[in-house]
Amino acid sequence: MLDRYGIVAIFALLAVIFPAIPLLLSLVIRPKKPNQSKKATYECGLEFEDFPEEAQNVWVQFRVQYYLFALIFVVFDIEVVYLYPWAVAYNTLGPFALVEMIVFLGILILALAYAWRNGLLEWT
Amino acid sequence: MLISPELILAIFGMLVLVVDLIGRARTREWLPWVTVLGFVLAFAATLYIWGSNASIFAGMYSVDMFSLFFKLLATIAGTMIVLVSIDYLRGRTTRQGEFFSIFTFSILAMTMMASSASLLMIYLSIEFLSYTSYLLTGFLREDKKSNEAALKYFLYGAITSAVMLYGLSLLYGVSGSLNLTDIATAFANTVDPSVRTVALVAPALVLAGLGFKISLVPFHQWAPDAYEGAPTPVTAFLSVGPKAVGFAILLRVALTTLPIYQASWIPLLAVISIITMTLGNLVALRQTNIKRLLAYSSIAQAGYMLIGLVGVNLTGNSPFSGLNGVLIYLFAYLFTNLGAFICVIAIENATGAVNIADYAGLVRRAPFVAALFIIFFLSLAGIPPTAGFIGKFFVFGAALREGFLTLAAIGVINSIISVFYYFAVIRAAFFLDAKDPSPIRITPLVTAMLTVTAAMVLLIAVYPQPLFNLAAWSMGMFGVVK
Repeated sequence: MLDRYGIVAIFALLAVIFPAIPLLLSLVIRPKKPNQSKKATYECGLEFEDFPEEAQNVWVQFRVQYYLFALIFVVFDIEVVYLYPWAVAYNTLGPFALVEMIVFLGILILALAYAWRNGLLEWT
Repeated sequence: MLISPELILAIFGMLVLVVDLIGRARTREWLPWVTVLGFVLAFAATLYIWGSNASIFAGMYSVDMFSLFFKLLATIAGTMIVLVSIDYLRGRTTRQGEFFSIFTFSILAMTMMASSASLLMIYLSIEFLSYTSYLLTGFLREDKKSNEAALKYFLYGAITSAVMLYGLSLLYGVSGSLNLTDIATAFANTVDPSVRTVALVAPALVLAGLGFKISLVPFHQWAPDAYEGAPTPVTAFLSVGPKAVGFAILLRVALTTLPIYQASWIPLLAVISIITMTLGNLVALRQTNIKRLLAYSSIAQAGYMLIGLVGVNLTGNSPFSGLNGVLIYLFAYLFTNLGAFICVIAIENATGAVNIADYAGLVRRAPFVAALFIIFFLSLAGIPPTAGFIGKFFVFGAALREGFLTLAAIGVINSIISVFYYFAVIRAAFFLDAKDPSPIRITPLVTAMLTVTAAMVLLIAVYPQPLFNLAAWSMGMFGVVK
């Protein structure tokens, strides 16, 4: 009983050490050049003061259409999640699974076709 | 095929999209009719498998008479709402294919909720219905109110579904099973006193998710805003569809999983019922927008229906088993509330008006609609000779049989309060003068649907025996509870 908890303890120890090593390593080998914008609460490490005038203006418009690409990506994402285990176990599943997978792909293709037909893949 | 209604709905949901894809402007006129065909076929398929009592998909899905009752109800509601939304959507949106497809899927979600017999299936089908409902609520993208309604509905739904999921996980944790019947067996066989505590807390958490769907107080806040902002046919759907199948799951969980704890959930539901009908009715008194008024009215109606579950007693051969009261009430409410909303749609289609003040002089501008308003409001208030009276008769009767005299009395008092605001609309329609006395033109399809719903409301009251039989068959699969 106790030795099983020992395994858990070793795992817990490793779990702490493992992320700590790269942090410590980077502390040792990184160059130290602190500046004001790096110490800010929300910093991305970029000093906007050094940028040319037009790049300092961060109020740029993003294309709202980006979310459509994210949504269409879901189609392919789901596809691969189900196709992969099916492909691995194909030999044992038989023809029924093949038909099911075709139906499943048909539904996904319909979604893609709908998006395509409605011009969501056009970059206008 | 036990899942043929679901398969038909799923196929037609996609078929509508395909027709929308490959069709030209002319063929898109058929979209609502393709949808209606799907609902009619699903209705026929439900009748075809009538009488089956089977548990499929490893006990996750139960095709029994209880679920078939709700599938009939779902397909009837779907057909009527599609037919009244044709005229409404014209000019409001160009994406009718999407609307009808999502709507078909929401009816599919309703049929799946009715059959859910496992905690996992319950959660998934409720989420399915929720997401399609959010999309339908926010369907008018250019309309700010529609967007606001969808966002409020979504945020509220997300939180209640999280709370419900926690409750479901607790139920699974103490019983070790996802199947509703197996959980009941686990509860009956346990000797561990701590199980009892969890078995009281977990259903209360689950009630948050179901109460959201049924719009029980205190989970009702989304309803007035979502009802007001949603496209009116969608509002009509929200007021009957999710409510009915929410009740289906509530009844199924209460009567198959938790009958041994009946003594502890009855007081809880009784209190919620009293708060729901009282708050719904009192707030409805002050509404000026007809859609908000009907929203609070539908909250109050949920309170009345809950009385039936409080007074449930499946022993003996009494005509007042409580459960049949809820089923009869739901069926009567379906036609009554849809009818009332079709009246609202008829007026909104012609004039765009949704305020009660705009209904002044309606009797001269649209006498048919004004007359039918009386029938539907009589039915909502539970005054004979209408379907609503039959429903109230059976739920109040069950409460009296079980000795909940106070509850029944509060129900009756609330019905009287509701007469006041229902007849405020009638008063405006009949006794006030219109600013603009030009007649309102009602489209033939809407007139037809008004006639059908009004006829059903009266028919149920005059000849209720088929409905009694339907309710009696549907509840046969539940064991004896008391």
